[in-house]
Amino acid sequence: MRWRVIRLEVHDAYLNMGIDQAIMEGAEAGKSAPTIRFYKWMPSAVSIGRFQSMREEVDIEKCMELGISYIRRVTGGGAVYHSNSGEITYSVIAPTSIISKDIRESYRIVCGWVIDGLSKLGINASFAPINDIVVDGKKISGNAQTRSKGTILQHGTILYDLDIKTMFTVLRVSGEKISDKMIKSVEERVTCVKNYADTDQEGLYEKLLEGFTAGKEFEFGSCTEEEMKRAEVLAKSVYSSDSWNFDR
Amino acid sequence: MLFLKGFARFKVPGGKLIEVKLNYSNSIQSIQILGDFFLYPEASLKDIENSLLNLKVNESEENIARIVSNVVKNKSITLMGITPEAIAKTIKMAVDK
Repeated sequence: MRWRVIRLEVHDAYLNMGIDQAIMEGAEAGKSAPTIRFYKWMPSAVSIGRFQSMREEVDIEKCMELGISYIRRVTGGGAVYHSNSGEITYSVIAPTSIISKDIRESYRIVCGWVIDGLSKLGINASFAPINDIVVDGKKISGNAQTRSKGTILQHGTILYDLDIKTMFTVLRVSGEKISDKMIKSVEERVTCVKNYADTDQEGLYEKLLEGFTAGKEFEFGSCTEEEMKRAEVLAKSVYSSDSWNFDR
Repeated sequence: MLFLKGFARFKVPGGKLIEVKLNYSNSIQSIQILGDFFLYPEASLKDIENSLLNLKVNESEENIARIVSNVVKNKSITLMGITPEAIAKTIKMAVDK
């Protein structure tokens, strides 16, 4: 099985989620090759899990004030702040048959590729079920998966730098004001690549690429015209719509 | 008819967060289950929510868990980070407040 690897791209939130879904639909139809893609978010964005409430999780007014997008993912899990300068996102779209039919096992396998990439930077990370990757017990990567018609879409984010203040300006934290104590408590639970490795984001990306592609037959490629057309339709009609984003 | 609004939040030990929002009188009129959990296939959360409509609010936690369990089994749903028991507990918390 030959993988298609799409090099790091930068898109807005709606197109990023549209591309993931367009490739997934293509894979379900047997048209899209198993794909690994890396991307960043411009402008920065908050994504919430499929079952979360946008208004409860996200301070919409603050997002608008700061020019930060907000979007509901197709995957479950929690709210994530995707800082343009602080993280790299990946997605893997492939038939379950080449990863694993078992959901928990497939999380472990794909998260293993992230862990392999981090290890190349000397970072000793480990998988923390259900969907986290931790270093010294602190979360460095969150991951989320959906499945449909024998196809897996798993995407996840690897934290390069932490901007806790902006994170908690746009994410609602139950009744608490942003305090030094709260920031300290987050720093005790969350970490980032910058705390462990002397590398820039390009260096992190190169190592993640190595971790994801090791032992695989692959070629670099990009989205097909058909995938991009579909992604743009999804970005416009679904992912930027209030009916999707404020569904809950 | 006037309905009461209920809300509860429960963090499953070692798992994820569940929130339940509902409107009720003697029975549940509408319900939303929210949180950062995983549920496969995602669209089947509606089946769980629909199975709880018109349920008497004094139904025991065990019975509510059983109803959710049956939907999970019949619809081949996989829950990750939450359980039928935790959903039932959160529902009872939401109507007991």
